[in-house]
Amino acid sequence: MTIDSVLDTASLVLILIGALLCLTAAIGVVRLRDVPGRLHAATKPQVLGLVLICLAIALSLRSWPVVAFLVPVVMFQLATAPLSAHMVGRQAYRNGSFDADTLVVDELAGRDVDEASTIDREAAGGAGPQEPGPSR
Amino acid sequence: MNPLLVAIYIVFALAALLTLWRIVKGPSILDRAVASDVLLTEVMCVLGADMAINHHTRTLPVLLCLAAIGVFGSVAIARFVARREDRR
Repeated sequence: MTIDSVLDTASLVLILIGALLCLTAAIGVVRLRDVPGRLHAATKPQVLGLVLICLAIALSLRSWPVVAFLVPVVMFQLATAPLSAHMVGRQAYRNGSFDADTLVVDELAGRDVDEASTIDREAAGGAGPQEPGPSR
Repeated sequence: MNPLLVAIYIVFALAALLTLWRIVKGPSILDRAVASDVLLTEVMCVLGADMAINHHTRTLPVLLCLAAIGVFGSVAIARFVARREDRR
């Protein structure tokens, strides 16, 4: 058994683990009940799965230029995955598209509702919804 | 055929089908945004797996672009669609 076949098998195993993470996310997205739950399941393969796949590519191709190309891929994913998850989760909270009975702690219970009603009053009073507050 | 390869193909196909089911069925637009994010991640993982299995580097730029701009879809949905929906 040569070193090449060992590295290829290792990369296949890493790909399989990444694929299983994708499958876990898909099962969670299908089975969980509200948007924050689905978001919780969905964000698992976005970083870890992609890191595993990139490791598999590096092990399989075994060249430094490829590794230099994979580093920014992982960096971009690390930078942007929490951004989209945060935006979707925040809007899910403001829409009320979550199951309030399943929350253990709701730290935004008073605050965010007040903010939302302020936005509604501004919109009704003619200030216009296109003027976002300084905090957003 | 390598049994590991067969397992990888089946797992990726199952994951994509389940995610598509949620995109089709999802009750709100945010559910669809989350599910399409998952589908985009799976596409990236499949492209990377294809490169690793077949030993080529042709889709590396695609992977980089998807990682860089894939976020804008769900951010745009969350910004512009969500606030008009009625509270359930």
